[in-house]
Amino acid sequence: MASYLVRRAVYGLLTLVVITGFVYGLARSMPGTPLTVQLGETDPSRKVNPEDLERLKRIYGLDKPWPAGFAQWIANVARGDLGRSISRKQPVATLIAERIGPTFLISGTALVLAWLAAIPLGLYSSARSGRADERLSSLVLYVLYSFPTFVAALFLQIIFAVWLRGTAWELPLFGMGDAPADAPLAARLADVARHMILPVTCQTYVSLAYDSRFVKANLEEAVRQDYVRTARAKGAGPWRVLCHHAFRNTLIPLVTLLGLSLPGLIGGSVIIEQIFTWPGMGRLFFESIRERDYPTIMGLTLMFSLLTLLGQLLADLLYCAVDPRVSVE
Amino acid sequence: MKRSPPPEKGDSHHVPVAGGDTAPATGRGLQTNGDCHLFPRSTGFWAEAWRRFRRRKLALAAVAFIGGLVLTALLAPAIAGTKPVLCRYKGRIYAPCLGYFRRDLEPAIFTKDRFRGTYPRNLAEKDPESWAVWPLVFQDPSRSVRADEWPGEPANPARDEGRPSRRNLFGTDQAGVDVFAKMVHGTTIALLVGFVSMGIAGSIGIVMGALGGYCGGWVDILTSRITEIVMCIPTLVLILAVIAVIEKPTIWHTMAIIGATGWTGIARLTRGEFLRLKGAEFVLAARAAGAGPVRIMLRHILPNALAPVLVPITFGIASAVLLESSLSFLGFGAPPPTASWGSILNDARGNLAMWWLVVFPGAAIFLTVLAYNLIGEALQEATDPRLREARK
Repeated sequence: MASYLVRRAVYGLLTLVVITGFVYGLARSMPGTPLTVQLGETDPSRKVNPEDLERLKRIYGLDKPWPAGFAQWIANVARGDLGRSISRKQPVATLIAERIGPTFLISGTALVLAWLAAIPLGLYSSARSGRADERLSSLVLYVLYSFPTFVAALFLQIIFAVWLRGTAWELPLFGMGDAPADAPLAARLADVARHMILPVTCQTYVSLAYDSRFVKANLEEAVRQDYVRTARAKGAGPWRVLCHHAFRNTLIPLVTLLGLSLPGLIGGSVIIEQIFTWPGMGRLFFESIRERDYPTIMGLTLMFSLLTLLGQLLADLLYCAVDPRVSVE
Repeated sequence: MKRSPPPEKGDSHHVPVAGGDTAPATGRGLQTNGDCHLFPRSTGFWAEAWRRFRRRKLALAAVAFIGGLVLTALLAPAIAGTKPVLCRYKGRIYAPCLGYFRRDLEPAIFTKDRFRGTYPRNLAEKDPESWAVWPLVFQDPSRSVRADEWPGEPANPARDEGRPSRRNLFGTDQAGVDVFAKMVHGTTIALLVGFVSMGIAGSIGIVMGALGGYCGGWVDILTSRITEIVMCIPTLVLILAVIAVIEKPTIWHTMAIIGATGWTGIARLTRGEFLRLKGAEFVLAARAAGAGPVRIMLRHILPNALAPVLVPITFGIASAVLLESSLSFLGFGAPPPTASWGSILNDARGNLAMWWLVVFPGAAIFLTVLAYNLIGEALQEATDPRLREARK
């Protein structure tokens, strides 16, 4: 077990170095630097003179070729320093800490809602497999699964923010909250909740459609096993067979899927956060690429790849924990 | 029972050694001697898969839909455009509509005679003898139609005035460009993105997976590591960064990047299939007959591993279409003259009251993705023997 973990850790570290190196090189090859992009865009007439630019470049370490810059970055990360954002003048760690909350608010809520609905739906559709009502619900879920998030987001915005404007059903178009800071806590919370409805809906329906199909597919595999036939033969009722015998055995793939959803949980969704201008990680990523903010791009890449690796490891370990037939070796 | 080697070409197993007990167990089709009618004559794997696929009406409808898209893409200049499909001018016959496919296919004589893109009036004025066959809808995908450009017709409404109407079936965008024409001409992109990017992803994935699964050892470690690394890079970030690096990104760059990042699932599946089939008897037989590793991989294992690999490729086409349209939606897609469905949606973000900029392209993207997903699922059920039993 210990040797397995060590091997995974070494491989993981290697993977991280390769990924971050690749993204660093890529980011540095993008035309423009954070300095030129920022200063040029805010005021084109006020282009910085070359000496100032050189001085700024030296301060931020952009005068060196990118492998040197990358080595410096790695050394800093090893000391626990993610660097300072160039365009936002804040430590990257602070920026990330600020954005994790809002992203988690959406993705966590969506994840819980999706699973809460997906498991009963999956059970229901495999219990009524082949009947008319199951076919209909499966078709609806299938259609939802193919429905692009950004189209759904735009539809919802049109319906709730444009057509229903002025009615009690109106929902805010974007942002995370516009209640004044001195408002009572309950009012502020209610305001954030109202802003959350549309983005959470968008994020939930896709996972719901995917997860319930996943649950159903695994259940259908399980009910064909011999132990289910045995359970039926000894007289267990249909629901007891489904929930107690079949479903418990489908927990293994579910756990794997949960592990793999870890990066999305913290990394957020670029598109949803972009559409609803939600101040989360996905939007930070998008903006930092546009601003050529290398330290932020790198910090987020590191975090995202680390989470992906951790999620895979977690999935593998949990897999062994729930299924004694599988060993990590 | 004893199975005689399959005599038909239709079966995907190629048997180098004839007869006897060394013949591989085909598993999928039972073969009998000509006289014995105990078992129905085997129809071969792909014919059987097609028979099962055909039973699913929705999947057939999806195939028909994609076929319709292909036709639309090919006939786009004849469906919507402002250039004649065919015209006779100064004694010769031209097809100016080809200019929509490539600029230089538009006959030079019209540039020389200063048509400036407006055909109806110029044709009549400069050659009274001329005639022309016009596209079904007189609207241009890249510019607004001006007043009286087509005799007696008003100009396209601009800004948020352009609701769907008889003249503009799907309405017009802020600049007054007809959305129907844009969508018809954008079909090409929607189709190409799926096929080109998954063609790339499929080739990379199959090669990586085949090498890793068949060779094993350090090759397997290397290919698996590379697959894992690519899996860990956040796709959207990679794509956005690469597009920023390229000086003049075209739709082909987008397709190449989607393909270059989307092969990991295919590689893993191919590797698994090759691992499984490597030990099969027919591979051993092929090796005994003296086949080299490349020949074994290409001619013996690949045909048998192809069916399961086709499924993620089909689903991959769906997600490639989705990815391209979300990129265009974020403003990172094809540059302006090439209209993609996602970029129309991007226009809608400016003014949400223009619902027609969301409904029509949104429906087109959704239906295309749904069609590929339906085909993928039907393929899966038609080719996977385990699911087949479940349907009984």
